Amino acid sequence: MLWQKSWLETRWRFLIGAILLSCSAAVTVFTYPTVKELLSLVQGNATGALGRQIRESAELARTFPGYIWSESFAGNQRQWITLFAILLGTASFLSTSGGASFTLSLPVSRRRLLAVRTSTGLAELFILAMFPALLIPLLAPAIGESHGVASALIHGFCLFIVATIFYNLGFLLSTIFSDPWRPVLIAIGVAVALGFLDRVLRFTPLSLFDVMSAERYFRHGAVPWAGLLVSVAIAAGLYSVAVANLVRRDF
Amino acid sequence: MAEALVIEATALRKTYDGVDALRNLDLAVPAGSIYALVGRNGAGKTTLIKILMGMARATSGNVRVFGQNPGSSDEGIEIRRRIGFVSDEKDLYASMSVEELIRFTASFFPRWRNDLALEYSRRFALPPSLKIKALSRGMRTKLALLLALCRGADLLILDEPTSGLDPVMADDVLQALVAHVAAEELTVFFSSNQIAEVEQIADRIAIIDGGRAIVSGSVDELRERYCRIQLIFEDAAPPATLRSAGVERITRSGRVMTVLSSQGSATVLDEVRDLRPLSVEVSPVNLKEIFLQSVTVED
Amino acid sequence: MLFRPNPSSGVPIYLQLMEQVKHAIETGALRAGDQLPGMRPLAEELVMNPNTVAKAYRELEHEGVIELRHGAGAFVARNPRAKKLADRLPEAQSIVASAVKKVRALGISDEELRRLIEAEMGGRRG
Repeated sequence: MLWQKSWLETRWRFLIGAILLSCSAAVTVFTYPTVKELLSLVQGNATGALGRQIRESAELARTFPGYIWSESFAGNQRQWITLFAILLGTASFLSTSGGASFTLSLPVSRRRLLAVRTSTGLAELFILAMFPALLIPLLAPAIGESHGVASALIHGFCLFIVATIFYNLGFLLSTIFSDPWRPVLIAIGVAVALGFLDRVLRFTPLSLFDVMSAERYFRHGAVPWAGLLVSVAIAAGLYSVAVANLVRRDF
Repeated sequence: MAEALVIEATALRKTYDGVDALRNLDLAVPAGSIYALVGRNGAGKTTLIKILMGMARATSGNVRVFGQNPGSSDEGIEIRRRIGFVSDEKDLYASMSVEELIRFTASFFPRWRNDLALEYSRRFALPPSLKIKALSRGMRTKLALLLALCRGADLLILDEPTSGLDPVMADDVLQALVAHVAAEELTVFFSSNQIAEVEQIADRIAIIDGGRAIVSGSVDELRERYCRIQLIFEDAAPPATLRSAGVERITRSGRVMTVLSSQGSATVLDEVRDLRPLSVEVSPVNLKEIFLQSVTVED
Repeated sequence: MLFRPNPSSGVPIYLQLMEQVKHAIETGALRAGDQLPGMRPLAEELVMNPNTVAKAYRELEHEGVIELRHGAGAFVARNPRAKKLADRLPEAQSIVASAVKKVRALGISDEELRRLIEAEMGGRRG
């Protein structure tokens, strides 16, 4: 029954996420023919940093998997899954408006309550990462292209694993702040800051977003196991701090 | 029920950010009683209840419910298996329907009483398919009470069960509660700042103020012990102080002197005889007066 | 409802309830052998603590005012009626005396009178 409650309380965030991520994946696939036409217009002689970037994207977009990777796994899907990981993680679990004292009056330990909630959330996040990724190989034949199922799954999996960090970050923040907004805003702030370090400052000793998009897998076929393991460890660390917070807390 | 005391607290202290919510609170709730916890807002009633439910932990002191420690995770679960609870906020899951929440709650309590759930649903006229967020406060309170009563609990802990209800609804709730207690053998521990309802249904009471239980015991005993002695004198009432034990307050107004005693009238009467009053009248004191006399008034 | 204790009077509710039961018996609202309301229904009706009703009934039983029959409920005891009877006996006696006097004045023999009384009472009995 706790599972049902968890599902009832998060289903809207999950369903909206599922629709958005699926639509985003589908739109990306179906705009490829247009992009291919535009490619012929790209000038090969653009100079400077901007020119180099344009050439790089054009290069990637010459193949369908390259296009999908840059637009989806390293683009839209990566941003959306980060956002929904935060939204699912901060779904108020023991807020007073959500019947916290009723929940706490049940003969169930807080650890079990939190384990059920987190399992539900992570299962939802897994689907949010994998389903849209799978849509790509499924839809590709409709525009006369193809994409490997295995590689789509691996990209989806990498998205999921790193997103669990943001899920647990949101969860941890929701145990610190009692209002529903600060945890979301702070977690998004952290995600944006990490992205800024990554992209603009090129500060990438451990780039979460590179692990997320699995660039090494895309370019060299090497799954970023080390990065995934580190991500799992970070997520687990955030989770245990959050649980310790909630177990100690007075309601 | 095997335990003589269902709830037992000694020297209980709870501090929030350096401020005492409870200090040196002692409490003993015997099995089978309807025990009222009375106090002003902020006296510490909800804090005490949260400690009993394992929602908050005591800073120091000792607390036992069914002989177990509610602050321990495992024992807390054992305790909560036997408690029906209605919280201060009457907060329930907004997104569930009445029916869903009843089924949800039932799944946690092996002794759940389906027969009573049906009976109370009818009695309270709760529409099963309505979402909880659409319920009025009165309806929500009734549902919260249903969810507490049907657990097959040995102890009901109710935090201000009638607060925010109109008198008709409040009476409905009390009546259901009394009927339930009459039919099932259990202990009720409830907080309230409605003295009238406490006088009506409680047989034991603790008045808490500033985080301590300042008066506690059987309601009948308190009513028998507390009395008001009115003395009328020939001239202005003498400014004498009385030394008898139990003299709580002396007020004078012209020829009339009123003594409030918490230890019966006998010793006071012996003492005032020397003051030669024209007439002496002893009258009972109700709980409201005992309450007002006991709590500190800061404003 | 016969009983209506006032919770805020300061007098213990069980004492008020005891007084009200005794009063009902004195005024004849309750007679010997009459059944009192059950403890549970009464507690429910008056919205009061069932323990308080039980205490009042126990005390009343102790005073011999009511009898608690196991499983059957509470009944008004015989002895309060006997006390009341004693109060009314002198009045009854004078009524009988004046009736006997009037009947004798009609020239009816004591033998006949006894028969008439017996017939009257027997008729009622039937």
